[in-house]
Amino acid sequence: MAQVSIIGGGNVGANAGFFIAEKGVTDVLLVDIKPGLSRGKMLDIMEAAPIRRYRNFLGGSDSLSDIKGSEFVVVAAGAIRSPGMRREELFAVNAGLIRGLAPEIARLAPDAVVAMATEPVDGLTALFARESGFPRSRVMGVGGILDSTRLRALIARELAVSMEIVSAMVIGRHSDDMVCLPRYCSVAGVPLPLLLPPDRVNALIEETRTAGDLVVELAKRSSAYYAPSAAIAELADSVHMNLNRVFCVSVLLEGEYGIRDAALSLPALIGSRGAQRVLTPELTPQEVAVLQESARKISAAIKGMVKA
Amino acid sequence: MKVSVIGAGNVGAKAVYYIAEKNIADIVMVDVVDGLAGSKALDFLHAAPLRGYEVRIRGTTDFGEIEGSDVVVMTAGIARKPGMDRMDLLKTNAGIAASAAREIAARAPNAVVIVVTNPLDVIAMVMLRETGFALRKVVGMAGVLDSTRLRWFIAEKLGVWPGDVQAMVLGGHGDEMVPLTRYTSVGGIPLDQLLDAADIEALVKRTRTGGAEIVSLLKTGSAFYAPGASVAKMVEAVIKDERRLFPASAYLRGEYGYRDIYLGVPVIMGRNGVERIVELPLAEEERKALDSSAEEVKKGLQELSTAMGVPA
Repeated sequence: MAQVSIIGGGNVGANAGFFIAEKGVTDVLLVDIKPGLSRGKMLDIMEAAPIRRYRNFLGGSDSLSDIKGSEFVVVAAGAIRSPGMRREELFAVNAGLIRGLAPEIARLAPDAVVAMATEPVDGLTALFARESGFPRSRVMGVGGILDSTRLRALIARELAVSMEIVSAMVIGRHSDDMVCLPRYCSVAGVPLPLLLPPDRVNALIEETRTAGDLVVELAKRSSAYYAPSAAIAELADSVHMNLNRVFCVSVLLEGEYGIRDAALSLPALIGSRGAQRVLTPELTPQEVAVLQESARKISAAIKGMVKA
Repeated sequence: MKVSVIGAGNVGAKAVYYIAEKNIADIVMVDVVDGLAGSKALDFLHAAPLRGYEVRIRGTTDFGEIEGSDVVVMTAGIARKPGMDRMDLLKTNAGIAASAAREIAARAPNAVVIVVTNPLDVIAMVMLRETGFALRKVVGMAGVLDSTRLRWFIAEKLGVWPGDVQAMVLGGHGDEMVPLTRYTSVGGIPLDQLLDAADIEALVKRTRTGGAEIVSLLKTGSAFYAPGASVAKMVEAVIKDERRLFPASAYLRGEYGYRDIYLGVPVIMGRNGVERIVELPLAEEERKALDSSAEEVKKGLQELSTAMGVPA
């Protein structure tokens, strides 16, 4: 069976392992440098298998070399936010780790599609793409898919409709400057602006923007991990089954909207070769300006680190 | 929860299959043909150990067994055969629907009724009148099928996962369908940003004749997988109170400017059936197409009153 490897046995990593296990189509290996941690967590998940009925191999390891030949690698290692902290502040903390991991992953799993879940995802996606030498299609950040999922949940709650029929699009940086596109949000195909007045749409957008902060505030000692893990499992599934599902993921831009050298979330077709086709929905000049400003900040952070 | 399916033909049986696999309700199949529903139910049950469904499935000729159903699906009726007079089809199926309606009213007075029997918009009206049910409790299945076909054709054309394609259609079934391509999108991106007008028109045309395409390939009989799946999706929305937005045939009281007819419109389906009808702004062309769809339905109702000797 194809193998999914998850690096980082914290809440996001372990729950991603859990959700992927429930899909039942790939083996899952959880890797953490802390001896025993990932083995313990995966054993716990494995022991639920008779009840939950998955039958794939689930394992834990403290050695990165066990990811060898993986089809899909999730990077969920590194420091997380504490209340009041912005995601960007983690760049200085986590960039060194990602710089070290990228060539190792590239060596051990040269054909893998990589999902970056360590924050800040956009900066680290761009950094990973550069340091691994992977084509941009095979390095995707878990950004917009999570923001879109949150907005979907809020729209469904507001309209009291099934979440499954709500489609939402949030692109750009996975931060306060994310770009929510209500005209590209719809309920069974009906555009959101036809169903909800602008002030309510704006309120939901504001709530989406701060949704991650709210979880950190409430949980105090952790940041969100169920929704991010669920998003990772969907990406893994779409890659493994070559589904070409459309998800907003952070990818290194190669001239889209005039942007290069930064990763931002855009809708993309996710299949066995990763983000196989990046879609560029029509945007207003204001929206493009926000993306360009986000990209400038990401590029600056990467340049700053390289000098340091 | 309990779902009854009237009519154990291909569409009814396939609907039972899809509903059973969802594991959400016990199912009763009723068919007047002796042994037909019973044999199919037994065949389903034999597969239960492999497929893992835990619901009860019964097949019977006895309407008494639909007692207390939460949802009743009406698929019984004859199919139109080449050369058959349209009035004969209408008259026969209206008669079948009327007698089923009286059974449903007596034995499952709280059920939501999903009508599949053709001509759909007219049979739905017969069902409403003969059960005396609240307007929202009787709804027709057609738009879900037309839109799932359109969604599949778009997904195939673009090479994307079909679940990410959303499409909305109005009006009658098949030829009478009014596609709202402005409200059709892929991962939220409007279709016209991904395909040119000629490609879209070709996909719409194929959808209009989607049923006929299957008939011509099958030679005998018509489609039943996609229709069965469409029924199951609507049943699930009711049983689980999902409040899904579907294109479905609903009784209109002024919505979209029509009154006292059944017509395909976007509805929110939940525990009470049609929880809400969603009114969308229409372009002039869409309005015209919907008008002609409504005219067809009115004509059908007129024919019904002639055939049954009752006022329309």
